[in-house]
Amino acid sequence: MGVILEVKNLTKKYSGLTAVNDMSFEVHRGEFTGLIGPNGAGKTTLFNLISGMEKPNSGVVRFDGYNITGMKPHKIVNLGIARTFQLVRSFKFMTLLDNISVSCLSPRGKKLAKEYGIDESASSILSAVGLVDKARIPPIILPHGDLRKLQIGKALGTNPKLLLLDEPFSGLTHEEQKGITDLIIKLHADGVSVFMTGHVLRELMNLVPRAIAMHQGKYITEGPPEEVARNKIVLEAYLGKGAEDLA
Amino acid sequence: MFFSLADPIVNFLIFGIIQGSIYALLAMGFSLVYGVGGILNQAHGAFYVIATYIFYWFFINLPVFGLLIGIIVALIITTLIGGLVYILLIKPLKDSHVGVVIVTFAFAFFIENLVGILVDKQYHDMPHLIPGYFEILGTSVPYHYLLVIGIAILLVVLITLFINKLKLGKSIRAVAQDAEAASLMGINVDRILAYTLMISAFLTSVAAVLNVPVDIVAPHIGWTILLNSFAIVVLGGLGSLSGSVLGAYIIAFARAYTNFFISPILSALIPIIVIVAMLVLRPRGILGKKEID
Amino acid sequence: MEKLNEKISGFPAYFKDWIKTFRGKVTVLCLIGLILLPLANPNPYIMGIFNTFMIYAIFAVSWDFLAGYVGQVSFGHAIFLGVSGYATAYIIKYFAWPWWSALLLGAVIAVLFGIIVGVPALRLKGPYLALGTLAMSLILYQLFLMGSLGIMWKNAFGTDLFGTDGLGQVPPISTNVDIQYYAILIIMCLSIAFLTHLVKSNIGTIFRAIRDDETGTSASGINTTKYKILAFLISGFFAGIAGGLYALRFSGVNPGVFQPLYSFYAIIMVAIGGIASLSGAALGAFIFVFLGEILRLLGDIPQLEVLGGFAEPIFIFSILLILIIRFAEHGLLGTLLEKLQSLWDIVLGR
Repeated sequence: MGVILEVKNLTKKYSGLTAVNDMSFEVHRGEFTGLIGPNGAGKTTLFNLISGMEKPNSGVVRFDGYNITGMKPHKIVNLGIARTFQLVRSFKFMTLLDNISVSCLSPRGKKLAKEYGIDESASSILSAVGLVDKARIPPIILPHGDLRKLQIGKALGTNPKLLLLDEPFSGLTHEEQKGITDLIIKLHADGVSVFMTGHVLRELMNLVPRAIAMHQGKYITEGPPEEVARNKIVLEAYLGKGAEDLA
Repeated sequence: MFFSLADPIVNFLIFGIIQGSIYALLAMGFSLVYGVGGILNQAHGAFYVIATYIFYWFFINLPVFGLLIGIIVALIITTLIGGLVYILLIKPLKDSHVGVVIVTFAFAFFIENLVGILVDKQYHDMPHLIPGYFEILGTSVPYHYLLVIGIAILLVVLITLFINKLKLGKSIRAVAQDAEAASLMGINVDRILAYTLMISAFLTSVAAVLNVPVDIVAPHIGWTILLNSFAIVVLGGLGSLSGSVLGAYIIAFARAYTNFFISPILSALIPIIVIVAMLVLRPRGILGKKEID
Repeated sequence: MEKLNEKISGFPAYFKDWIKTFRGKVTVLCLIGLILLPLANPNPYIMGIFNTFMIYAIFAVSWDFLAGYVGQVSFGHAIFLGVSGYATAYIIKYFAWPWWSALLLGAVIAVLFGIIVGVPALRLKGPYLALGTLAMSLILYQLFLMGSLGIMWKNAFGTDLFGTDGLGQVPPISTNVDIQYYAILIIMCLSIAFLTHLVKSNIGTIFRAIRDDETGTSASGINTTKYKILAFLISGFFAGIAGGLYALRFSGVNPGVFQPLYSFYAIIMVAIGGIASLSGAALGAFIFVFLGEILRLLGDIPQLEVLGGFAEPIFIFSILLILIIRFAEHGLLGTLLEKLQSLWDIVLGR
């Protein structure tokens, strides 16, 4: 089981605020890993640093052997990392099919889609995420749960080795959550490494065999979720949220 | 603008200082509006044109005190129009960046043509605000130039103090840093933006009133104002007041130098050379902050 | 061979769909009207206006492609108009090339000038393209106005280029007005057809994605800078074609063509016809040219002197643009059609 993602001493400062503070950890190939921390812990910034949307002040990010620190986002995607966003992004005025097609038109996505054609590939991805009946509809009128599925579909279009999911359950009903969970499990079974964040532990606890905890930009601990949940610092970080989150 | 005496070095220095002072006033306003509201105000040149023509109209139509009244009215009206432009044109289009740029662009044309219709389209000259010359370093320098430098320095200092010490100024800075946070702190972001535009219009009108006696009255002058303001803030750093002042003098002296010692043709090319070079080498400008995507 | 068949059969599909729509039918009717016009033997003045309209249509469509389909707004499209106008005129006058090759080369040269400010601006995320292109057009305007530069050039190369007189006495496409008209018509149709096909293709999907969410498009693995620059070059090329045709139709160019005014023309035409609609942009050009002409004629009528200078076309258009942007975001025609549609629905009791 190799290491697919390695983060070393990663730091990101804004004027007066250190969002990510000297973080180091590894994500293993083919694994399902969680990143937990309360709101404001720096999870999204960390994802931004890994995916290239922001440049770190110091530190290294290595993916599949490549040093991708500070690389342009689209180049990182074409090496095999795809991400979703906490605040759902989509091409609001294009059909769902077109939304997926864009990813299929990336250099990496094209290699995969070449055989069947862009439209076909985009369709099959829509099927995989359960949205194929809405292929001709623009995202602007869809419910939140479908938008989250769309995001995963867009990520899939680039044929990723590693999927970064930023708060995939945020704002979803129980039904919708189940749909996403099933989807993610299936992806993981297909061999995609998944690294996902969440601030509500309960959702993650049942999904991931291993979780990394962070708070105020710093690495706290890692391990099986039950262990992490019992960690003293983690408990302190969450105490303001209410004990039921950790049940 | 040029003197009977031929010493190019003195010409160069004086030209640089005067132009730089005018540019500084123009650039500060432009930079402020961008820093606080994220707006590249295409109507910036239009403010200059409005002030110029109000000033000119009073001068030619009022026999006594025309100059003085013209200045006062120009400053007041232009400042108010700055606020109106915000309320009527910019604010309603807050969500559409493209819309704001286009509507202010259209406004610039509107003003350019309006003044041509209301007054006329010919070029005109205006006299110095303070007549007379004095001797320095063997050159005759108009007293007007002293006025320009004096007022420019005064305003730069005042604006800096205002931004840093006065409550309204600090609110402006807060909005410039983070509009959402400022609004959560109880600052009326809308009003701040309106004030910022009015300050920008005010500074521009002062620059107009000082510069027109040295330059010309013509409907199309707004465009060069916009061009130079943009070049200066790209050089100095979008959103940085000190960068604007610095950039203003650098460009003024660069133009003066190339104009007197190399070629006036090269001097005209300075703004675009600066813009392209900065965008390629250091987009944030000399004193600007790093832009986070 | 298979791919070629695929491509050809792919083209008429959306075309067939389009023809069935109201807009499609109207456009085809207009096209037929344009083709038949010379047969009605109109006077040269009218032909001239139609020529102007078609040239501006190409210009408007090129700008709309960039702004409405890729989301990049340029305030200096006059750069392409002017550089290509001058280049085309110069090549014809002093190198005696045929008009069509001069036109193509002129457009290419215009694109090269656009690259100077376009590439640095597009590599960045920020509002640099609009003002950057405006700045470039203003500088070119100043440069081409310089009499001193004109003299220098004349002394060095023996030809006219810079100076307020510009380049004149450029021979037209043909002394036969009908041939000139049809040449321009064909070029306009080819240009619009090409750009339409482009936006409907896979690249068009990428362009529209960049327009809707550039960061998201990056996150989908697309090199957005590359595509923005590509779109800019294509847009500039067609704007350059318009510029070269301008020089041919008006028998020359002068520095005035670099004024912000001409960049403004593109915007107003698109605003009237509807952003993100290429045929709309062409329609906007039509309205702009003819409305402008009517306003000009009105201004000449002595009884209407009381209107004074207010009938000035550009003055009216600037007010119009402000109103359109404020109240009819998707273009005047789009909003008018919508309102007409809702009125119609009310009448029919829907």
